[in-house]
Order: sequence, then C-alpha cells, then structure tokens
Amino acid sequence: MDFASTKYDVADAFAANELYQDNGWTDGLPIVPPTDALVRTFLEAARMAPGAVVAAEPVRRRRITAEKVAIAAVMAGCRPDYMPVVLAVIRALCDTGYGLHGVSASTGGSAPFIVVNGPIRNAIGMNATHNALANASRANATIGRTTRLIILNVLHGVPGGLDRSTLGHPGKFTYCVAEDEDGSPWTPLSVERGVPAGASAVTVLAAMAPHQVLNEWTTDPREILDTYVGAIRANMLTYSIWAGNYVMIIGRQNRDVFTAARWSKQDIREYVHERAWVQRGDWASVGKSAVVGKDPDRVHTALRTPDDLLVVSAGGPAGGFGAIIPPWLGAKSLAITTRIEEKP
Amino acid sequence: MTIRVLDPRVDPDLEPLALAPAVVLDGATIGLLDNAKIGTAHFYNHLEALLRKHGVREFIRRRKPDTSRPVPPEMLAELAVADAIVSGIGD
Repeated sequence: MDFASTKYDVADAFAANELYQDNGWTDGLPIVPPTDALVRTFLEAARMAPGAVVAAEPVRRRRITAEKVAIAAVMAGCRPDYMPVVLAVIRALCDTGYGLHGVSASTGGSAPFIVVNGPIRNAIGMNATHNALANASRANATIGRTTRLIILNVLHGVPGGLDRSTLGHPGKFTYCVAEDEDGSPWTPLSVERGVPAGASAVTVLAAMAPHQVLNEWTTDPREILDTYVGAIRANMLTYSIWAGNYVMIIGRQNRDVFTAARWSKQDIREYVHERAWVQRGDWASVGKSAVVGKDPDRVHTALRTPDDLLVVSAGGPAGGFGAIIPPWLGAKSLAITTRIEEKP
Repeated sequence: MTIRVLDPRVDPDLEPLALAPAVVLDGATIGLLDNAKIGTAHFYNHLEALLRKHGVREFIRRRKPDTSRPVPPEMLAELAVADAIVSGIGD
C-alpha cells in the first residue's frame, strides 16, 4: 500500500508526539503516532485504498482521501473498527447543507455535534448512558476528535488561520454521543430521518455548547418541556434568534415521564414548536434594544417546523436532567443524517 | 530503531496561482462583491468614493445572499465584465 503523505522518521512515540505538537498538527492533546503500518491497518478495516476520495469540502474543494482520514483516526486514538463511523461523519460534514467551510471559519465557534444510531453503537462500545455528553467511552471520545483533526490538518481549520472562532467551546475537542436506543421505547433519530430501522447512521449538526436543564419535580410532560423551552428562549435572546435545528437531549428520568404519559418524539416536537418563540421586542430585556427595530411584536420561532427539533435519548438512569444543544446560526447550517456503510 | 510516521496535512494545492495584470483605474469598471457582513457596505461606500477620485468610471456592486457560501454563478457572471473585482472576506 503506497501512501502519498510525506514521511518522517522519528526516534519513538514520544518524539513523534513532539513533532506533531511543534507543527500544530494536533489539538494540543497527545497523539498516537500514525505509522504506515497502523494507517494500513485502518484502511484495510475500511476496505479502502489510500487515494480513494471520501468526500470533498464544497467551498475550497479540498478532497479528503481515505489515507488522511485514517491518519487522523490513528492520531485521535480510534480503533480500526471505528472507521465506518468516521467515514460517514466526514461524508455528512461535506454535504452542502452542512456548510462546513462557513461553520469552521465563523467567529461563532461551533463544533460538529455527532449522534450515532444503530447496531454499530454497541458493536464498538459507544456510551449512551452515564456521562453521555462527556468522557465515558473511547469510541465517543476519539470519533469526535478525529473530525477535529481532519478540520485542522486537511481543511486548515487552524485557530487564528481559517478558524476565526472568538471563543469556541469544549465540544471542539470532541462532541459525539450515541442514542440510548436500548433504554427508550422511542423511534431512533436516524429512523425518524429516513434511515431504515436496523441500519447504522450518523447525524451531524454544527452546534454550540450544551445548555443543561433540570426539572425533576413534576410528572406533567408539558411542565418538563416548558423547562427545555425556557433554555431555548434564553438562547434565542442571548445568542441567536434565528430558527433552525435544535437538539434536545432527554435523560432517562425525564423520558420516563413522557413514556408514562405515552408521549412520542413527535408529540414533543409539536409542543416545543408551538411554545419555543420570542418576540423581537424581548431583546430589550437582555440589553439588545439596538436591534429590536420597527416591529417589536414580530414573533420568531425557534423551529421552522416541528421536524427541526432532533430529540435524542441519552444520559444516566437517575436525575431529571436534559440538555438543549443550539444550532450555530439558525438554518444556515442544517443537520445531516448519513447511513454508515458497513462492509461485510 | 526509528519509527516512520505520516504527515496528516493535505499537500499544497497543485495549481500555481499567478498575479493578474495590474489594472489601469482611469476609466475602469470595478466590481465590489459584498460578503453580507455588517460593515462591508459602509467600507465599500468609502472605497467607491476613493476609487472614483482615481478615475474609476463604473462600479458593479453585488451582495452575496449568504456570507458563508460561495457566490451564486449568475452573480459571478454579472461581475465578470468588470476589469477587476474586490471581494470581501471575513468581518
């Protein structure tokens, strides 16, 4: 297997890490040295030739080859069997609807939020329960990190270079969850978005940091949702008022309330679509009088339609917690769902 | 005993870019492509006044419908008749 990448001979793994750190080829965390033997193993697992083009970023037309994806996956600490998930994420990010160039360059500082559905979640040991949005599983951690390393090295999304983020957020290191399909009676996110049941898929969204909410003092599903809606409204006023894809992560204890009341994800979407809105004049209450304009009564909804809301089951068994994950900037970047190609 | 590791970056773009020939401003038509950021139109108003003093006769001003996405082809075609185009990037 012949590689196009420039090769460097270094003394050992420590020296390799120093080389990548010194050149700004990593996110600041240590890397696994991408030796040609390891990269070959990852490409063989994916059954791809090094020069195969996985996807092309539509604006700068940078072609992302399987070789570069495998290098990033090795560096990030992936196992070879994560490759089908990583490849699906890269294809989804390069969909024109996602707008990878704009979201990566924006001062807004979003990160690709990744939701994995289907049998591959359990096959590669992804976490969907305790600490669902944070550290708990090698697969969650390293699949998300691989996307950052590709944006950094292949698309030159270097902070201060093409990445003009003012603040960014910690999800830019890694931001990847699995849906807790086993702990929920609901239809998986991927199936709602058109992927056949039983197939594995990823959904990506250019997203801001999660806003955690808590309500464990009611058994009324409407009251639970009013808490989430409060977080959405706060985001609309303090960050961005524009309608787009919001993610709602619902923990187990809150889910039990909906299950007992026989509420489906669709019921939740319709309720939130109806309730999550602000008026332009409300901006004055948070110091933004300057942009209220001539029509303070104009209503802005958080969602263009109920389908804009992505409802995801995830989280540990106890605690009435959930989270809202807001979009980067309204509907300028859309959630993209891509089926994972698993080769037998 | 050493280990051999691979460069994670893409190789530089293969097509070399050359500078366009210098434009004579006197009598020229200049395209001003607004990237739809908040300060761009204001900046271009000043630029237009400045370039007029240098003899530029005509301006084609267009505003991208979306900051983060490429220029629509039809808008690019309208700008293509200009002798030179100024394109806004960033904030």
